Amino acid sequence: MELDDVPFFPQSRYQCGPAALATTLNYSGVDIDDRALEQAVFLPGREGSLQAELLAASRRHGRIPYRIAGNPEALTSELAAGNPVLVMQNLGIDALPQWHYAVVVGYHSGERQWLLRSGTERRHTASHTRFLISWQKAAYWAAVTLPPGRLPASATPATVTQALADAERVMGAPTVLPGWEAAVTRWPGQAELLFGAANAQRSAGHKHAASQRFEQLLISDPEHYAGRNNYADLLLALGCPASARTVLAPAQQARGLAPALEAVIAATAGELDQYPAQPDREDCPAAPS
Amino acid sequence: MITARILMLFQALILVCATTATSTQAAVISTPDYVSETSRDGRLAQINAVLARDEVRQQLVAMGVSHEDAMARVAALSPAELQQLGQRMEQLPAGGDILGLIGAVFVVLLILELVGVTNIFTAV
Repeated sequence: MELDDVPFFPQSRYQCGPAALATTLNYSGVDIDDRALEQAVFLPGREGSLQAELLAASRRHGRIPYRIAGNPEALTSELAAGNPVLVMQNLGIDALPQWHYAVVVGYHSGERQWLLRSGTERRHTASHTRFLISWQKAAYWAAVTLPPGRLPASATPATVTQALADAERVMGAPTVLPGWEAAVTRWPGQAELLFGAANAQRSAGHKHAASQRFEQLLISDPEHYAGRNNYADLLLALGCPASARTVLAPAQQARGLAPALEAVIAATAGELDQYPAQPDREDCPAAPS
Repeated sequence: MITARILMLFQALILVCATTATSTQAAVISTPDYVSETSRDGRLAQINAVLARDEVRQQLVAMGVSHEDAMARVAALSPAELQQLGQRMEQLPAGGDILGLIGAVFVVLLILELVGVTNIFTAV
């Protein structure tokens, strides 16, 4: 198994971070070279690049970074799905670390060899044992950088939720929307993913798609009070205050909520109070109670 | 008469704008904020994010990054990443120079040589 067509950016001094990131970004369709990434990740005072800054730079270029579990099976499942994996290695010893970024592009199970774009070598081969030791000494750090509609093969609902939420702060909800939708398709009943998809649909201006997602959310988790609040607000925007009241009522009665959530729910309830108690129009969504 | 009507229309417009603005902003909770709120660490990181952002930006500048780049770089970090960098930027692993490995090995050998553990260089 080898992704032959992953590009190669030979590293110049200290620049394995920008070179490795340029490799995965280019493969996911971003036209950028290692020189341009230096400004985003290289830290002169440390003569290197920090892991978090590689993830941040990926977001700035429209690719969602996902941390990958630290085991060989996760690496091979990503390779099989066509995702080269950014890894950190320690090529030195614990007392005298030599931190290095490379990109895993293949694994030959017969020879038990890993293939990497690394340093100045386009096709570096490392024995399974040697690679694992160097990776283990860097706490098995690994990540993939993917366009918003694609998810890592080895991800879990929890890691995807965190990665998409972090990406959304930087890239905006409409850009990340395909990620939420892909996640909802893969894991249909997951409340947090439905909540993310619903909010992103609404941010993208798709009110009816958003209301469908909120309904699915409240079926799968009737006690999702943030979901109830946001759905009530959407129903109000759709001109359906009576449905909004029905959806919000359990949230107003809930006890022990986080203060921030409680305040937002109170604000929504306050807005609902300004509307007369009348039945909604015929075409309002029949909200689940 | 006409000016009074225009004035009323204008006031009504302002009222509509003001209410729609509050209904879309104040009354919903965003996904990132919600996700942060669901764990204790996330909540702390979220609370400290503003301070941490400034702290990390200053540290980046002190380590040789331009003001402009530092601003753009901190803007793309998550609250948890900001917190991590704010506390440990000096110690976190920074992937860099593999050529340096050769230099490091040389220094170790030289020290071992100088303290008399090895005699690679004198033997040559």
